[in-house]
Amino acid sequence: MDGDLLFGLVVVTALAFDFTNGFHDTANVVATSISTRALPPRVAVGFAAVLNFVGAFLSLAVAATVAGGIVDAAAITLPVVFAGLIGAIVWNLVTWYAGLPSSSSHALIGGVVGATLVAHGTGAVKGDGLLGKVIVPALVAPVLAFVVAGIGILIAYRIVGRLRPGPVARGYRTGQIVSGGLLALAHGTNDAQKTMGVIALAMVAHGNLPAADPHPPTWVVVSAASAIAAGTYSGGWRIIRTMGTRIIKMDPAQGFTAQGAGAAVILAASHVGFPLSTTHVISGGVMGAGAARRLSAVRWGVAGNIAIAWVLTIPAAGGTGAVVYGFARIFGHGAAGPLIVAVLLVAGLAWVAVRRLRETRPAEAPA
Amino acid sequence: MLANVVDTHDLLQVVWSAAAAGVGLIVAASLGIMGAARATAERRDGRAFAAGLYAALAVAAALVCTAGVVLGVSVMLSKG
Repeated sequence: MDGDLLFGLVVVTALAFDFTNGFHDTANVVATSISTRALPPRVAVGFAAVLNFVGAFLSLAVAATVAGGIVDAAAITLPVVFAGLIGAIVWNLVTWYAGLPSSSSHALIGGVVGATLVAHGTGAVKGDGLLGKVIVPALVAPVLAFVVAGIGILIAYRIVGRLRPGPVARGYRTGQIVSGGLLALAHGTNDAQKTMGVIALAMVAHGNLPAADPHPPTWVVVSAASAIAAGTYSGGWRIIRTMGTRIIKMDPAQGFTAQGAGAAVILAASHVGFPLSTTHVISGGVMGAGAARRLSAVRWGVAGNIAIAWVLTIPAAGGTGAVVYGFARIFGHGAAGPLIVAVLLVAGLAWVAVRRLRETRPAEAPA
Repeated sequence: MLANVVDTHDLLQVVWSAAAAGVGLIVAASLGIMGAARATAERRDGRAFAAGLYAALAVAAALVCTAGVVLGVSVMLSKG
């Protein structure tokens, strides 16, 4: 009974993480389209939500490999998974509030690593895996997207530079709808699978799935797809504003270039099996499309804040995961600790939401 | 040390394939937009042959972009 309650808590928390992943990463897909007026804001997030949902069904290949190669598989217990998810959710909420795009995948990995460190010590965390699967890709992704988008926009301007701006802008806006759709599909494929992977791991730990071949059942796939789509549709407008207008003020050619370069980099990396964060890639692409035209076109202060958030993601989510695990352990090995943490988190979020409703004008939804 | 934890072959493959696909897609789309815009302008000026050539360029570029999208979706499908 206690185990069932803990398992249920982990599943609900995983879906909550999936929802935050959706609204946090909406910006990756729609920010440039909204900024260049390729699509109206609500249409853009609706379009991205539908394609995220569809994308979740395209492939189940990475569903069983979350934190695989980074944390010892035997160390993944339900309390560790729960604490890792809370660490990731908290970091996603903090960075959303600050309007900073950061990797939800890195937050999840950081949360699980932090909880594992407290639960099983340093021996259960594989430093090589962390370096090879998280840190090196985090360095490669933005630089590669920056360079590809930078070269791409220089060539694009040479090709269309002397044409009338109206038809050119219309053409790139149409292209943005296609490249944005491709990005949304890729995001749904990659990120919904992480939640499926977490739930599959929980099912293995709970004894519902065989450890040898933990393919998630249909209800897991449908619920993960629905949660990320709902999160995407709710729209993380703060991060959309940062990505769409605060890094650079972009024209349709730059918007298409950032998205096209981003989609190409993500899909090339997927093809090779090299894990890159969508957030890092798109942010790099946006900066590259701006900097190639004029270095001063990029607001480097905003870019610096984003880079700081990226550096802090693993330690901050890891620290939160570690604290949550340690706190929950005070109440024993069962469901009591995680249940208290979940109640405290929900109560804290409700308190923040009520305070915001009382004190603010509607700053969230776009005009 | 780094070579032990990162497959440099995979990394280089990501770099060149992302660069080729990304720049290729942007160039193809830009040529398509240029072709479509110039075809309209040439037709308006009564130069049918030039309009036809630019229209053909636009169609060819659109086909390249479509192929890129199909390739991207097939990459996603092939993971599963």
